[in-house]
Amino acid sequence: MKANIKELTKGIFKENPVFVIVLGLCPVLGVSSQVSNAIGMSAGVMFVLLFSNIIISALRKVIPSSIHIPAYIVVIASLVTITEMVMHAFVPSVYSALGVYLPLIVVNCIILGRAEAFASKNTVVDSILDAIGMSIGFALGITLIALIRELFGSGTITLFPMGNFSGVINIPWFYDNPIRVLALAPGALLIMGYLKAFFDWNTSRKKDK
Amino acid sequence: MTKNIKYGLILLSICAVCAFALAMTNSITAPVIQMQDEMNQKMALEAVSNGWTIGTRTEVTGQDHVTYTIDLLDKDSVAGYIVGLTSSGYGGQMTLVASYTDAGEMLFAQLLTHSETPGLGKKAEQEGYMDKFKGSGSDKPVPTSKTMLSDADAQAVSGSSVTFTAVAKAIAAGSEYVKSLGGAR
Repeated sequence: MKANIKELTKGIFKENPVFVIVLGLCPVLGVSSQVSNAIGMSAGVMFVLLFSNIIISALRKVIPSSIHIPAYIVVIASLVTITEMVMHAFVPSVYSALGVYLPLIVVNCIILGRAEAFASKNTVVDSILDAIGMSIGFALGITLIALIRELFGSGTITLFPMGNFSGVINIPWFYDNPIRVLALAPGALLIMGYLKAFFDWNTSRKKDK
Repeated sequence: MTKNIKYGLILLSICAVCAFALAMTNSITAPVIQMQDEMNQKMALEAVSNGWTIGTRTEVTGQDHVTYTIDLLDKDSVAGYIVGLTSSGYGGQMTLVASYTDAGEMLFAQLLTHSETPGLGKKAEQEGYMDKFKGSGSDKPVPTSKTMLSDADAQAVSGSSVTFTAVAKAIAAGSEYVKSLGGAR
């Protein structure tokens, strides 16, 4: 039980895919301009990572090592295409906002990295826990960056429109005094850099103790 | 040799299962996507119709950018046209609709489908992007290069010149085609 919890929680802080392992930075930097985009991308990554880990772990004794990469790519690409079709049909606004980054989940290093480093060597249950932990870690990372960028860069928090709610929350003061550079592409690199430095400092502080 | 055949069969089996899963998903999502596309197209036609009545659609072949025209009727006479346009942007083919007076002056335009880069070419779908082309095509030429734009408009398309040129060329071609119809058809 304790091992299971460790498997689940390691991806959230200790081996956070964004700030510690530094995997899948392309969508993190590209999509984190709005909170809604970050949540949509996180949902896509979570679905693909969970099912790719399950399938690859279940087939780990069937797939020979010499053809494991093409086999993994076929599975991952199929899952991404399914995610793309489902999002296009049922959440078109998120599909439109994610644009080219959605099909790019195929080459997101987190998915192939976890398939290669974990799912291919561990049981289905452990792989599910690893996928959930890593997905939550990815979601926290990208959403934190998006929240900071959108709040300080535009003075808004964009969620999903529901009924009379437009989905956009204007934050007083921040809305009138935005730091525009944070909403632009360099802002993603700046925020990522500061958060990475914070995580590194936190890790080294714990090691020193 | 036997090993290679075994590997081939394993990969074939994985591909077959994946293809089946994709086909099943497609059979569920394709009708929903088609319905959405039709609804978006209908809304786009309404948005560019200038308040005129949308008439009959005529398919156009043999043109670089123009794919169809739709008559716009004002009190039963043709006052203008909606033109279906295609062009090649940075991310591949894009489709748009634009409305023109019968003299070829662009009234409204809207991007329908595209694969442009978020933050750059994707700005073309934003409200107001097409305003820089409004009123052009008849007395004043359609701006097809950044030098023909005001400083503010040139700044707005900075970083997405390929998308801007693609949209501009399509709108200019639409205007020329409407002029070639020689007023009311």
